[in-house]
Amino acid sequence: MNLPTRIRRSLRVGWTAGVVWSLYKVPGYWRRLTRRPARTEAELSPTHERAARHILALALDLRGVMIKMCQAVATRSDMFPKEFIDRLKQCHDAVPPKSFEVVRGVVERELGKPLDAVFVEFEERPIASASLAQVHRARLQDGREVAVKVQYPDIEDIIRTDLANMRRVCRVYEYFDPQPIELLPLLTELTTHLSYELDFVREADCAERVRELFADDAHVKVPQMIREWSTRRLLVMELVGGMKITDKAALEKAGLDPADVLQDLMHVYVRMILAAGFFQADPHPGNLFVTPEGQVVVLDFGLSKELPEGFGLGLFELMFSLMTFNESAMLRAFDELGFRSKSGDNTTFLAIARRMIARSDTGAFEGEFTEDMTDELFEAIREDPVAEVPSDFVLVARVFSLLSGIAHTLGSRANVLQAMSGAPS
Amino acid sequence: MPTAESEGRTTFTPEELLASGDYREPLIANGVRCHGGFDDEGRYRSPRTLHRSPAIRAWQSQLASEGGELLEIAPELMPPQYPNVEQAKLLLRNGVREPVVRALTIISIVEGFGAMIRDVRVPDLASLFVEPLEGTALAHLRRGLFEAHARDESGYRDEGGHKQMWEAARDAALENPKIPGDVLMRLMGRRGRGSRPEAAFPQIDPDLERMLGFMSNVLVVEVFAEGTFQWGIDVLSDPEVSAEPEVAGGMVRNIQSDEKPHVEYLRTALSEARARTIRTVDGREIAGREVVDGLLHRILKQMTRTRRSDQREDIREGLVQAMQVASNPKRLLEEFDALDSDWTPPGQTGFEPADAA
Repeated sequence: MNLPTRIRRSLRVGWTAGVVWSLYKVPGYWRRLTRRPARTEAELSPTHERAARHILALALDLRGVMIKMCQAVATRSDMFPKEFIDRLKQCHDAVPPKSFEVVRGVVERELGKPLDAVFVEFEERPIASASLAQVHRARLQDGREVAVKVQYPDIEDIIRTDLANMRRVCRVYEYFDPQPIELLPLLTELTTHLSYELDFVREADCAERVRELFADDAHVKVPQMIREWSTRRLLVMELVGGMKITDKAALEKAGLDPADVLQDLMHVYVRMILAAGFFQADPHPGNLFVTPEGQVVVLDFGLSKELPEGFGLGLFELMFSLMTFNESAMLRAFDELGFRSKSGDNTTFLAIARRMIARSDTGAFEGEFTEDMTDELFEAIREDPVAEVPSDFVLVARVFSLLSGIAHTLGSRANVLQAMSGAPS
Repeated sequence: MPTAESEGRTTFTPEELLASGDYREPLIANGVRCHGGFDDEGRYRSPRTLHRSPAIRAWQSQLASEGGELLEIAPELMPPQYPNVEQAKLLLRNGVREPVVRALTIISIVEGFGAMIRDVRVPDLASLFVEPLEGTALAHLRRGLFEAHARDESGYRDEGGHKQMWEAARDAALENPKIPGDVLMRLMGRRGRGSRPEAAFPQIDPDLERMLGFMSNVLVVEVFAEGTFQWGIDVLSDPEVSAEPEVAGGMVRNIQSDEKPHVEYLRTALSEARARTIRTVDGREIAGREVVDGLLHRILKQMTRTRRSDQREDIREGLVQAMQVASNPKRLLEEFDALDSDWTPPGQTGFEPADAA
């Protein structure tokens, strides 16, 4: 990246940071001068909304890591106000693709030979493009149809610059006015995730690990990685066709029951997260397909996560106790997972457990773990003085939230309890 | 503690079927408040049996008076526990605790999954059966019976259930052991899943078949669990291998007594369905006996054959590895194998379809 671009990006980030800071602080100083009480949370709502709009505009302008940052913030309803979550949720990372010449350059540099020496066909128009890479359909010399994921040439540089800018902004914020929200740990987490996503060798390793996990499961398909032609910036894999998992009409036309597909998808995720302690952490509809035979296809293992030993069992206990209305077991699970309250007693968690379980009073629960429930859990956590929420828990909650979104789109509901039992739907 | 007031009645409210009555002392298992409690004589009393037990007796009497018979699953169909009592004790005596801890943990989780019964969809049974259902167990499935069963298994609100009671027995006997990391993987199907089961009776309402199938499956599991309880009592009550034989063995006995109403209401309701006629989706009729026996036959055949061999194979894998902590693993394995139970599933399930019998 050239110097003027770097300066422009830094200034753009600095300007937005200044605007957001002044939105919150200037009225605060004015109120103090005029001896008026600080704004209530309800009075702050329009400010949250304006600040979120500025941040979204910044992300849409600079893209790259800014998009990722907004996506990360949008998953932290335990930390940020609802206005931020709702606004930044709209931040999708679909970007205009790079030209084929740029792509060819990366492919040939990574392969160390001309593109034609490996591929007999290579479609110039990508089948998907996102903030870090784009994917092309191609055919190998031996006739196999493949998908080729190509990392943008300057992306690492952009990310380094943007992360440095963001870190600077966070430090300045914390220096002048220690925020109730600790931004630096969030940034560190994002930095780790981005380093995972940029390493295609790691992605291939993760894909193979999940493929092995479901090797004997006729309901799941993970494409085979073609290691021979894959590098840190180039990933070649078996091309697997299918319908988008949220395309209800296509599923039904193929004679598949969306409810069965959804239950299979839920089984895939509870098996990865709870049983294997290793999972693909990005189940958005663009990464999930269904073959005409009804197999759930899981793609994109860039953001895969290994959970600490025993965490899967702890999560299982938490989800199980929630779904079976057992508040005392839920309290023990919170403790085992590493949730801590500021006071050190469990009153906060008892209140959260009761609040979550009270949802069951309104009707049949049917083992469902919905987006509403995740939102409600985080709302309860934000309102009460919970000092520590394990970051792995946040990632898992995001996964279930995304799965719930898919269920909602399909107009169906998955029974998580049934999926956890391993019983067929 | 059943009351005379509930004796002889065949209609109950959900609140009645969930009522427990008073205890002198609650059941506390390893610091966790559980369901049930002790009466003035210090005897354990199961939860939610104040009206449920007399209700089940009344429904069974009514079934008999109408000429219906109570179905029976032959005890010979019950596969022996693996590892069996002597094998489990041998492992524990030799410091190989992992397989027993794993087995007890899996039992506790499977018990907890019994709560799934509250999510079983109960169709409009009155429209699906030809004969009336008033005053039967079938009419009370959604009105307290499934919910009581679910609460017994996984606990409810501030009370633990069988899941927590098995965990307490395990932790008392084996002194809070480390839980093997592969427990959930074994439970969720290391071998993956096959295809979805085909409907055995496509001519009847699919929700009705699913409900009867689920109940049959749970009944078989509950009947076979009798062997698991005895295994648990024998192993965990042995002071040579258990740190707290009385507490741990006693806890399993409590669970065993709680499970009796489950077996009884399920066999009663299934027997009521068996004694009735089911309306098919195309307006014809089919004998309930044909449907219930067909479902039970399929489940028993699968559980006594393929599932048993799969489970043994799965357990065997972990066993050999776990034995490496022993001083002489090879000799231990030989001793272990010499203690194995010889068992062949009986040729008949007792529920063979009429044309195959």
